[in-house]
Order: sequence, then structure tokens, then C-alpha cells
Amino acid sequence: MKNQNVPTPTSSSPGVKLVRTFPRFSASQRWEHAVLLLCVAVLLATGLPQKYNTTAWSQAIISTPARLATLQLIHHIAALVLTALVLYHLGTAIYMMARRKLSGEMLPAWQDVKDAWHMLLYLVYIKKQKPAFGKYNFEQKATYWFLFFTIAIMLISGYIMWFPVVVTRLLPGGVIPAAILAHSTEAMVTLIFIVLFHFYHVHLERLNLSIFSGWLNEEDMRTYHAMEYNRLVSTPRADPPPGDKQV
Amino acid sequence: MRRLARPTVILLALAFLIGCLAVLLTANTGNAAINPQVSEPTPEGMQIEESNSTAPIVSNQVCLGCHSQPGLTMTLENGDVLDLTVNPDTYAASIHGQDGYACVQCHTNLGNYPHPAFKAADLRDVTLQLTNVCDRCHSGEYNLTMDSVHAAAQAAGIREAAVCTDCHGSHDVRQWTDQNTHEILSSARLSIPTTCAKCHNAIYQKYSTSVHGAALTQEGNTDVPTCIDCHGVHNIGNPTTTAFRLKSPELCASCHTNPAIMDKYGISTDVLNTYVADFHGTTVTLFEKQSPDSPTNKPVCYDCHGIHDISRVDDPQTGIQMQQNLLVRCKVCHPDATSNFPSAWMSHYIPSPQHYSLVYYVNLFYKFFIPLVLGGMVVLVSMDVGHSVYVKARRRKPRPTAPKPMETVNPPLDEQPSASSSLASELAPAEAEQQGEQPPSQAEQPPENPPAASEDTPGEEVTHG
Repeated sequence: MKNQNVPTPTSSSPGVKLVRTFPRFSASQRWEHAVLLLCVAVLLATGLPQKYNTTAWSQAIISTPARLATLQLIHHIAALVLTALVLYHLGTAIYMMARRKLSGEMLPAWQDVKDAWHMLLYLVYIKKQKPAFGKYNFEQKATYWFLFFTIAIMLISGYIMWFPVVVTRLLPGGVIPAAILAHSTEAMVTLIFIVLFHFYHVHLERLNLSIFSGWLNEEDMRTYHAMEYNRLVSTPRADPPPGDKQV
Repeated sequence: MRRLARPTVILLALAFLIGCLAVLLTANTGNAAINPQVSEPTPEGMQIEESNSTAPIVSNQVCLGCHSQPGLTMTLENGDVLDLTVNPDTYAASIHGQDGYACVQCHTNLGNYPHPAFKAADLRDVTLQLTNVCDRCHSGEYNLTMDSVHAAAQAAGIREAAVCTDCHGSHDVRQWTDQNTHEILSSARLSIPTTCAKCHNAIYQKYSTSVHGAALTQEGNTDVPTCIDCHGVHNIGNPTTTAFRLKSPELCASCHTNPAIMDKYGISTDVLNTYVADFHGTTVTLFEKQSPDSPTNKPVCYDCHGIHDISRVDDPQTGIQMQQNLLVRCKVCHPDATSNFPSAWMSHYIPSPQHYSLVYYVNLFYKFFIPLVLGGMVVLVSMDVGHSVYVKARRRKPRPTAPKPMETVNPPLDEQPSASSSLASELAPAEAEQQGEQPPSQAEQPPENPPAASEDTPGEEVTHG
């Protein structure tokens, strides 16, 4: 499914359809998503049995202290990988910000509130058309920022649980049970959000695999990102790297 | 009628005679009935009853004729002197004496005189030999004892390990349980710790200063646990096993979750719930069920509260309500813990605005946040699904009705992709739908998008349809 830089045929043979594709995510962004997906899956798989330790399915997994120790070890390793990923993500953002190259496409804007309101009117059959979106629509931005803060809460509370002795050198002891509660509960919020909201939008509403392939075809670009499409086809650019284009 | 009735009358008369004989016989043997405190009547017990009822029994007066005289002794193989004198009053006051048991019911081989030769290495050997006879009537308790640490120690050659008579006495055996309820008597509870103290004195010293032991020994309070409430009675297990350790919270909870006892002293009955809710207790409870033999370093009740020296939590010297006292316990497992660390344990509190308010408010936040996220997502997604079903249903309708006016707008947009007015972009979805059906002439774009420039510019893909 790679872009093939073949010369544009002047006349296509019957039965051959040309589909233009538009770059959407850089290789780095796609790798980040893949690692994030893997980490979240492993963390949930090793965390949920610990949360629901009174259930039969959990006790089938955690049957001995040795198994619990293994589960916790895997959980900790995945947490470290996730931490590294978050640091890379933030580091890249700060580096680009310093060079004035960070795109504002993912930042929440007033337009998103208007789009959301427009979408709501569309969903209650008042407006006839969906709003036209830029590169990231308000739902995608909501997904990003929801998971951004969720991961922040999970990482902070996770490290507080992991190193209670160090944490209580500075903070009162009450933060430990609070962190345990927040970690356990926020995990459920994350799971609900990913399964209901994210899976619906990328699998059920339409199958959108652009985060794996890196590109989106013309039809999807026009349908779901009309403003971005119009901008891309109207203004020629001198090869800015994908994913950090300026608005 | 008369002919038929006669055999019946004879049978009835015979039955009456047999019944009278039976009553007389049992009355003759006196109190040979088994002591009601024996849990199950045993074959041995039945045999005794039968033998008593048939064979003449040697009266206690015969035995006491010699054995009540002081100075009757016997020198054993190692030179120990065995006192053979029995105080008749002591025996008469004992439970066996009260119920009229005969000497020879325990000393079964001494019914004749001269007695058969008796050999014992020393005094302890005498006890170990004679204690076996308890099994004859009390085999239930005797068998339980066989599963105890004491029996295991005996089997390992530790002759000092307790046998029946070490705790119950021999000629002075006392009634320790209520005849009707079989519950242990309050008076007996008071003497249990001192009984165990005969061997386990160091532990008794700790116990007698503990919150439980002091109440028992100083105030005579029998609500508190004695040794047997935690360690068991006859089948006393090894308290150093992992199984005992994992089971111990339930042991403490058997009293500490009972409001009938705890309310008297104003002690919370939430101690087990709050312990299990914390991850230490969660882990211990999990492994108690899953693998009771696996060692765990997670604390159980006695790791913080003490084992035999359990003190009041508000004791100024050792009470673990004082954070510095609790810190000492924390440091056993968390050696680098500092003064803030003990409050990481919620001290059996249920979070409230007063106690552990941070935990309380985090919990409160999620009580609203989770339904909000869950509900909001469900509403949005279901509205979206509903709407897309509605749109698809409308599109299936005949063409000329709906999309006609749009088609008139679309062509200029196709030719001039630079048009980026809000109107154009709003129309984009409808337009895109039609684009898919159009021939690929669309691929020939204005020169501002050279297809082969780089990966970053819109590329082209050939698909075969």
C-alpha cells in the first residue's frame, strides 16, 4: 500500500481507477501510535486482573504470588516504555516549538467548539451538512487530548504507587491511597473511552487505517477533511515534513 | 377372639418383664453412662458400659484402702520416686469422681492384687504411658490431639511436649465446658493462659501485659481471647506456617467484626473491610484463597499490632495510632520509610471529608466523571449511528428528488479546487460521494501538484477496480 510515483497516465485504461492519496502521518507518528497501542494493551491486560482480583477470571491468572510478581514486572516494563514514549513525544514537541516549527493543528481552538455545536445540530437533524474540518476534526482532537491527560494521570499515579517511600519524603502519605484509587479508576475511564469513542470512530463509523498506512485517499480527504483537502490542493508547498505543517 | 388374643398377652407380658430387667440392670450399674461432655460415643465407651454391666467392678474403696495412705511410693528405673498416693477428696471433687467413675476404668490392668509388674524409665515415662487411656472414652479429642504440634513434637522425640494430663490433670480433672451448651465455661477461660504458661511462660508474660491478657488476668474479662481462641484446643496447629499467617486476619476478624463484642468497647467492626480494601489486605486475602501455602511478605494484623504483646492503639508507649510507633512497624518491610510514610496506610479509616479527604474527593470525582464519560460517549455514538442510518436510508430514494440542486453547484468546484469558501467545503461531502463514481480524469490535476515531487506531496495510487 505504498505510494507509487508512477507518471500520471494521460488516459487510463478501462477498469483501472486512479486514487490520489494524501500524506497524513509521518513514519515517526505512526511508530508512536503503534508503540502506544501496544503499551496500553499490555498495561490493561496486566492491570485489570489486579484491579478485579476477586473475580474468577482474574484468580485464574493470579493464582500464585510468583504469577502476580510476573504480572507486575510486565506492567512495570510496559510503563517504562510508555514513559519513554511520552518523553519522546514531549521532547519532539518542545524541540519543534523552540524552532517555531510546531504545527498548531492539534491544539484546541474556538473553531472546535463551533464545529462541535454544528455537529450536534447536524446530529439532531437541524443542519443538513456536517461541518467541514481541517486536518484534525474536533473529535480527533478530543481523543488526543483526552488520552494525553489520561496518560498523564496514569503515569503520575503509577509512579507514586511504585515508589511510595520516595514520594512520602516530599508529599503527605495520603497521596498514596489517592494515587492507588485514581490509577485504578482512571484506567477504567481510559478503557471506556478507547473502546466506545476511539474504536467507533476509526473502525465502525469508517475504517480509517491512516495511522498505520500514513495516508488518506482523496475521497476520505474530501469527505472528512474538506478544509485540509482544499488547502493542500490549492497551495503548493515546498516539501514540509508531514505532520508538522503550519496552518 | 380369645384364642387369638392369648399369644398377644403373653408377648406383652414378656416384653414388660424384659423392660423391667433392663431398667434394673442399668440402675444397678449406677452412673456408668458416658459423661455427656464426650462429643461422640465411641466403641470403646460402649464396651466399657457393657463390661461394667456384666462383670463385677473393683470398687474405689478397695483401691483407696491402700492408695489413700501417704508415703506409698515406687522407685523408677532412673531413681525417680513415683508417688502412688491419691487424695480421696481430690478425686471425689474431680469430674470423674463426681460422676462415679472407677479407678480401674483408667487403670485397667490393676484390677487384681498383686498388681502386674509396672516398668517406667522415669516420671515422664509414667505420664506418657498412662495418658493413652484417655483415648478409651475421649477418642474424639484424643484423635484431634494427634494432629497437633504437641503430638508432632512427641513423635519427634520431644517428651516434654504436652499430652492430655499435662493440661487437664489426672486425678483432679475438672469440668471445663458447660454440660448443655458444650461451650467453654468462663471460669475455665480464666485458667487457660496459666495452663499453657506451665510450658510457654515467656509468651504468657507477654500476653498478660497485652490488651487482651491484662483484661483477662486483671479484670477477669472473658470477652478477650485466651490462647486457645487463636491457637485452637486439641489440634493446635503450627502458628509459624504460611497458611496460618494468611488465615490470621480471619482469626482476628472472628471477634473484631462481631458487633456483639466490639460495641461494648466502642471498637470499629470495619477493621477487616478496610484491611481487605487496602492492597496489603487484598493480596493476603487473594493468596489465602488461591495458594494458602505460598509465603507473602504483605503484613497481616499481627505484623503491625503485635502477636502476644498486642497493645491498645492509643497506648502512649506502644500504640500504633502514634505515627512514630507505626513507623517502626513500617520500617520492618520499608527500611527507608520516613515520617510521612505511615499515613499512606489509611489506619482502617473509610475515606471521608474528615479522614483522608483527598481519597474521598478523588472517589467522588470519579463517581461523576465515569458516568459522564460513559453516558456522553454512548449518547454521541448512538446519535451518530442513528444519523448515518438515516442518511443511508435517504440516499436509497430515487435520485432526482434530493441531490439535484447540489449537482448544479458542484462542477465549478471540480474545476477550481482552489475555491475554499465555507460554502464549498460544506458541500464537500456530497461532492465526494459523486467523485467516487466519476472516471479518473480527476487525477489530472493542475500543475501546482506535481505527483512525483516527493513522498510528502499528494501521491497517486493505482487501484484496479
